[in-house]
Amino acid sequence: MDVLVFSENPHLAAELLSAGAGLAAASGGRAYSVEADSVRQGTHGNALLLRSEVPLLGDPALLAEAISAARKTKVAPVVLIGSTKTGRMVAGGLAVLDQLCVLSDVRDLRVDGGRLTGTRGVYAGKFNALVGGPLPSIALIPQGSYEPFSEPSGPVEEVRVTTGPPKVSREELRSSAKSSLDLRGAKVIVAAGRGLKAKEDLAIVQRLADALGGVIGASRPLSSDLGWLGEEYHIGLTGVYVHPDLYVAVGISGQIQHVAGIRDSKVIVAINRDKQAPIFQVSDYGVVGDLYEVVPALLRALGRP
Amino acid sequence: MNIAVCVKHAVDEGELRADTSGRPQLQGALSKMGSFDRNAVEEAIRLKESNGGSVTVVCLGGADSKKTLKEALAMGCDKALAVASARALDALATSYYLSRALKKAGPFDVVLLAEGASDTYHGLVGPMLARWLGLPFLGFARKVEVNGSKVRTEAALEDRAESYETVLPAVISVVSEVNTPRYPTLLQIMQAAKKPMEEVTVESLTDEGAPKFGVTVGDVVVQSVDRKKLVFEGPAEETSRKLIDALRKEGLL
Repeated sequence: MDVLVFSENPHLAAELLSAGAGLAAASGGRAYSVEADSVRQGTHGNALLLRSEVPLLGDPALLAEAISAARKTKVAPVVLIGSTKTGRMVAGGLAVLDQLCVLSDVRDLRVDGGRLTGTRGVYAGKFNALVGGPLPSIALIPQGSYEPFSEPSGPVEEVRVTTGPPKVSREELRSSAKSSLDLRGAKVIVAAGRGLKAKEDLAIVQRLADALGGVIGASRPLSSDLGWLGEEYHIGLTGVYVHPDLYVAVGISGQIQHVAGIRDSKVIVAINRDKQAPIFQVSDYGVVGDLYEVVPALLRALGRP
Repeated sequence: MNIAVCVKHAVDEGELRADTSGRPQLQGALSKMGSFDRNAVEEAIRLKESNGGSVTVVCLGGADSKKTLKEALAMGCDKALAVASARALDALATSYYLSRALKKAGPFDVVLLAEGASDTYHGLVGPMLARWLGLPFLGFARKVEVNGSKVRTEAALEDRAESYETVLPAVISVVSEVNTPRYPTLLQIMQAAKKPMEEVTVESLTDEGAPKFGVTVGDVVVQSVDRKKLVFEGPAEETSRKLIDALRKEGLL
């Protein structure tokens, strides 16, 4: 059984390839990394290069059409797609085109008796559900679920595909090149929330992150509503899911949508002035206090005043 | 402008508790309009306010869906369409029946919905719906501007922002920072009862194109990660030292 994997995020694509190779190996098949327009640098394993008259990358609707067209020549009962916003759009389009089930945000993937199964969080991650669908199926997989595939690049098979014309004209407003941040791979994250009084105060959060050897993140109010930090810093149900060794929530109350994104952290620390804040219920260590006193005290204790 | 907005009557995930066996206590659980759906309804009403036209709110689900539809009517939608389904459907089937219902009730210039449902959050119905309807999909919009026959959105993706433009009709999903939803007044709530509410059943919309399979949901159990929940209180010098000691013991420093 062959498996196709796709993610516009190269780190995630490498993880999907591991998941795909595992599923394919059990049945003597192969996993192919789907590349669009051109093969990315540092690609691992076998690649299936899709080329069309029009550029595919960046247009989820066209990517869906291209993968659908490729599946006519490369029979692949399982398609793994990275759980990103682009991934969801590609998976949704492909599911309708090819009449496929979609298991979203699943881990522990298995193929068993003609079915693809996995587990996923529901109700903002409070519960885990066992989900399954008949083959052929698509699974959307979050980053950090599998170790990246590390074998060198294999052969590239090129497939010419025909897609419709693009229906949406697109323009990048803020370049991804400017932001090398990848919270999903970070080992230490210090995240700021509404407890912060001003944008300038992000500096002390950044200093704590530096002292702990980590990066900063944010809850939704800061990255979206207030716009103090870019969208890529937004941790939570509708932002990125993180799984660091240490997660420090500074002035974050712990709304369920935020907590959904941090559940896989090894150790969670909360600093909040409100003892009743829900964040303390999901933390290993909590400090009740004004972050403007606690964070400087932590920096002093760490020898980084 | 003829606007449709699709919403979900969702389990209130914040209030949901596990029973003694660790399963969600769905019987008698609180439910409400999906948290992000309120933003989609608000955006639909704002589009009507600035461009004229009417808003039809559509909800697929069980009998409780009518509560969510009434709320959307009170917020300012003009009519409601309940797509009755006795059982829970997956994203592919949900989007299929919504597309059939919209085709019957339409045509619509704009179909709005939230980026995902607050209880199950798949984020799939939007792109699927657009594909079933053969319309362009503008996903994850934090800003929507209609200008004549064109629509321009700003999308918030994980690592970048993009702007999309297309010719109407289109399907648009919005993220919650697109607006702040209004609360209806008591008068609006009372008036909503007089607004038209139609009902169709999933069965009446079933034809040969309907998906014949679906995602099955097996056991649902509470996600239990035992957290230590050690809370330090007192002067900052003291609590921060205790925290640093604890993190050293964890091998994190």
